[in-house]
Amino acid sequence: MEQMIEEQKGKDSELYIILKNSWSNFFNFFKEDRFAMVGLIIYLFVGIIAIFAPVIAPYDPHEMLRYDGEYRTNAGPNSENILGTTNMGRDVFSQLIYGARPAVLVGVSAAFMVVLIGTLVGLVAGYYRGKVDTFLMRVTDVAFGIPFEPFVIVLVAFLGPSIWNIVLAMGLLLWRDTARVIRSQVLVVRERGFVESARVAGASNFRIIFRHITPNILPLALLYGSLAMGWAILTEAAISFLGFGDPSAVSWGFMLNDAFVSQALSRGSYSWFVPPGICIMLVVMAGFYIGRGSEKILYPRMNQY
Amino acid sequence: MMKRKWLFWFGLAVLLTVVISACSNEEVKEDVVKEENVVVDVDPTRYLDPISILSRPQSAAPDEYETAILIRDALIELGAETEVQTMPWEQLADIVWYERDQWQMTGWQMAARPERLDPDEFTYNLFHSQGMVDGYNFMGYNNPEYDALAEAQRVEVNQDVRADLIKQAQQLIADDAVYHFTVHPDINIVYNKDVFDEGTITDMTGMGARNFWTYVNAEPSGDQTDIILNSADNVQAVNPFYISGSTDSWITELIWDRVMRMNDKGLPEAWAAESVKWVDDTTVSVVLRDGMTFHDGNPVTAEDVKFSFEAPKTGEVPMYQPFVEYIEEIEVLNDLELVFHLSQPWAAFETASLAKLNIVPKHIWEPILTDLQDSPENAESFQEDVPVGSGPYKFDALRFQEEVVLEANEEHFNAPKFDRWIVRIIPNMEAALGMIQNGEINFLATYTGDAELLNTRVEEAGNLEMVTSVDLGFRFFAVNQRLEPFNNLAFRKALQAVIDKQLITQIVWKGFATPADSVIAPTLEFWKNEGIETPTGGIAEARNILSEAGFAWDEDGKLLKPE
Amino acid sequence: MNWMYLLRRIGQMILTLWVVATILFFIFRLMPGNPLAAYIDPTFTAEQQQELMRQFGLDKPLWEQYFIYMANLLQGELGQSFFYKDSVTSIMMNVLPNTIYLMVFSFVIAYVLGILFGVLFAWYRGSKFETIGLIATLITRSAPQFWVGMVLLAIFSFHFGWLPSGGVSAAGSQYNSEWDKLTSLEFYKFLSLPAFTLIFYLIGLPLLLMRSNMLDVLGDTYVEMAKMRGLSKYRIMFKYGARNAALPVLTAMAVGIGYTIGGNVIIETVFSWPGIGRLLVNAVTASDYPLAQGAFLVIAAFMIFMNFVADLLYGLLDPKISAGGGK
Repeated sequence: MEQMIEEQKGKDSELYIILKNSWSNFFNFFKEDRFAMVGLIIYLFVGIIAIFAPVIAPYDPHEMLRYDGEYRTNAGPNSENILGTTNMGRDVFSQLIYGARPAVLVGVSAAFMVVLIGTLVGLVAGYYRGKVDTFLMRVTDVAFGIPFEPFVIVLVAFLGPSIWNIVLAMGLLLWRDTARVIRSQVLVVRERGFVESARVAGASNFRIIFRHITPNILPLALLYGSLAMGWAILTEAAISFLGFGDPSAVSWGFMLNDAFVSQALSRGSYSWFVPPGICIMLVVMAGFYIGRGSEKILYPRMNQY
Repeated sequence: MMKRKWLFWFGLAVLLTVVISACSNEEVKEDVVKEENVVVDVDPTRYLDPISILSRPQSAAPDEYETAILIRDALIELGAETEVQTMPWEQLADIVWYERDQWQMTGWQMAARPERLDPDEFTYNLFHSQGMVDGYNFMGYNNPEYDALAEAQRVEVNQDVRADLIKQAQQLIADDAVYHFTVHPDINIVYNKDVFDEGTITDMTGMGARNFWTYVNAEPSGDQTDIILNSADNVQAVNPFYISGSTDSWITELIWDRVMRMNDKGLPEAWAAESVKWVDDTTVSVVLRDGMTFHDGNPVTAEDVKFSFEAPKTGEVPMYQPFVEYIEEIEVLNDLELVFHLSQPWAAFETASLAKLNIVPKHIWEPILTDLQDSPENAESFQEDVPVGSGPYKFDALRFQEEVVLEANEEHFNAPKFDRWIVRIIPNMEAALGMIQNGEINFLATYTGDAELLNTRVEEAGNLEMVTSVDLGFRFFAVNQRLEPFNNLAFRKALQAVIDKQLITQIVWKGFATPADSVIAPTLEFWKNEGIETPTGGIAEARNILSEAGFAWDEDGKLLKPE
Repeated sequence: MNWMYLLRRIGQMILTLWVVATILFFIFRLMPGNPLAAYIDPTFTAEQQQELMRQFGLDKPLWEQYFIYMANLLQGELGQSFFYKDSVTSIMMNVLPNTIYLMVFSFVIAYVLGILFGVLFAWYRGSKFETIGLIATLITRSAPQFWVGMVLLAIFSFHFGWLPSGGVSAAGSQYNSEWDKLTSLEFYKFLSLPAFTLIFYLIGLPLLLMRSNMLDVLGDTYVEMAKMRGLSKYRIMFKYGARNAALPVLTAMAVGIGYTIGGNVIIETVFSWPGIGRLLVNAVTASDYPLAQGAFLVIAAFMIFMNFVADLLYGLLDPKISAGGGK
């Protein structure tokens, strides 16, 4: 949400120049910027864990483990359970591994919705201007007028506690920042010479939008997507904490909440309470790292210092 | 350069973790047990629809959720496809209560309340077929034999004969597998010994140490003269005519006196009355204590009592209506004496009526009720700025979502030894546990967290004391007898057999609970049927019960309905 | 900025409010869960339920309920809570001040510190100090709030016992007025943990924004001039640099306040802080439509208003934008 402020600082011209060569820059900067590199590695790492979760995790995350016929509850780290067990005898490490799945699911689908809706709205509004623009911007205003966390809570309470509903609720609002930024970007890009020549050459609006304008704003949209990913994962954790989470998906937010209601903190079960928090932080930070790295392609003046 | 190196090590560590974890992965082997009762070429209509168990979410009711999971696993082992569906209490209650053919199985609980110390409410209201359409019998249990028992105990004034009827009713509930009982939870109350004199805490049967008697009779052991306790729920209203949340009822109990009160043994005894005498089966004469006054200085008279018991009949106090149902007439003899005439013998009159209704000042409520006659609202939505009763504590302040402060009524015939009673609203259970340890509260009145942990903390602290008692209330799973497969008694019995109460007690409750087999808590020795028998043989017995009733299994072990 | 722009903007704000109010109405009316479920008791009859439905106007058709709702809204009437049986406005007035205290206090501190560190980070760009500082800042932005809150609670309250763990004031304490409360040390003891958690979260935005604005300003000629004139480091930083870079940060603050008012649910739950976020969540779970709707609407209206303020501030900063988005 705060990004909307940054965008209107009158950097349009510089931004444009950079965006012209954006694609090569976009991938180059990962090589050059350590922060962005770390961010990318974290993303890839979590992605791999999510895909291979059943192979990596030693146990079923829901299974209540029995050793010699006895349930092993509230165990600390030991040879069979790297991070110990929960109060119901489930393996914390396995839950942590499986937790990557909902994280990826929530993060990627929220980012996808944000990029998709935000870009479309921004493109159409910025390109067509006039009434279409006014209408879409009023819709965006409405989206900006709805408080985010309360809305997600209400909608999830309404539609039922499933991970998809959480994603849907977030997607319904989070596009608003992207839409505004993209629109103001499009307003600048559409006045450029190459768009003008395409128009003169008789290209259709559809073609101009998707062939000529979109490539120029896509890196920006993806940047917003990576930030949205972090937002979505944090929000999912918060929603779980408030008791509206999906009980069937072992997410990191669910784990934190489970540990919290089972009073892992009072019991000093740090091996249960700390790792999911760190995982969330890492993934969210990865989004920021990439975002910060993008600073360079977006605002090159800073390289002077 | 340093950063590069760091990155390298990070990457390496990551890779190693993946590899090591992958190696330690063990293959889980599924044993497929061969059954004699296996059917090949199954008629597709014989398959059961998936069973759905409703439960509150783990964050709201971890015990209910975990129990549901255990039951689900047992049902799956039995070959019935089952899932647990979670939703907030309000939505769950809405479906169970208003859409009576839309749910199959649900977690539920009955809370302890003083008037429930008499078995009538649990016996009659919960299971009588009268409640099938819109009452508490949402399971759709319909057994004329049971109805007859429930009705008979109501009018039986001889308590020994009545106890026998109550015991028969309990066995019938078990035989028909109407409720699937799990446990009577322990009530774990912790108090600070630096604040409370140990000998003056009252452990009330089925209610625990958190009760009226503790609040009124406990004595300070030090300089602290405030009782500071916690509650997780907001205070909804402080209203003598409105039965709202449980925290609210702690407050109303203290502000308003009642003719009788349930004592620590769970039996009604005269409170605001000097004496309560049964003249015959339908006539009760009451003599009030002399010299009682309301908090505004006006005396408490027989007229006030008469008004309090007649108000529910005006229609402006709907929730109390059932508790005056059989009161035909109230005759005031003088300022302190009055006689209740009942329309029929009523075994639970003392508990459900005399010990239930609050004595309100007529001079305050009569004009209010008259005004309400012409408005769509009723007395439940009326909030006095300063509630006035005659009880041992006076209302002082209500800070919304924060606290309620009551002040001792020095004039009361049983004046409290503490100066103030303060309930703090603490939604975070972990914080409440921290507060009792660091002294921000001195009486932990609500604790829904891990009892084992609480116990450890109390033992470590030295200045804390924990009182553990068995709850009058109980946890159970209700099944809908209108629907398949629960309309089949054999299936319900099989379910009884697979619900491992010992396991639930140990794992879910960490041993801080007592397995339940009836609506009556074991502490109510007079009413409890000790000899209730239900199947407990686990999966093996369940399979037998089902086989005998014609159920079978397909080659994959899936349960099939009888042909 | 001209008056036409202002008027148009106000018009847009009202339109937005109306649409949001309408959306809210339908969301809450179509929600499952009967409000009467809160009253379920073995002693409750069907007639009594009908009576309650009538009392709350739930027996009328939806469109009629909508018009009644809108008409009431115009008069500032938010209805009566199902659960507390009290007017929504008065219930909210009980908790709104607490939310505002927490918010204002945290915002002021977060923004002062944020601006300060933002300036320093910009000045020392590329140094170890900046790198570590930036990582720390990103950590504050990415740690789940309740997790931070619980850890703080465990350390400062349970372990050391320095600070109270919940509520806004000591049990049974009485203040003669809100002013007395705000000037008592006791109150700030209770405020400190929740405020710290909130500051921890809030500080990142002003810091990062300030830093990047500052980097721009530092490249400007007059700063170069000042450097050449040999002015002291701090004088340049704060007199020349920060003054120019801080305005956009203040605009961000306007928007930030708007967002935070609804997002405090977590902190309010962890620290038993009686605020509007907790009120809203409780109302949602209790299917208390009027209260949930009212709280939601107040939060939304506040947000919309703060967005409006921020827009006007943009207008002041950059006349190009007020003309309509760079056309």
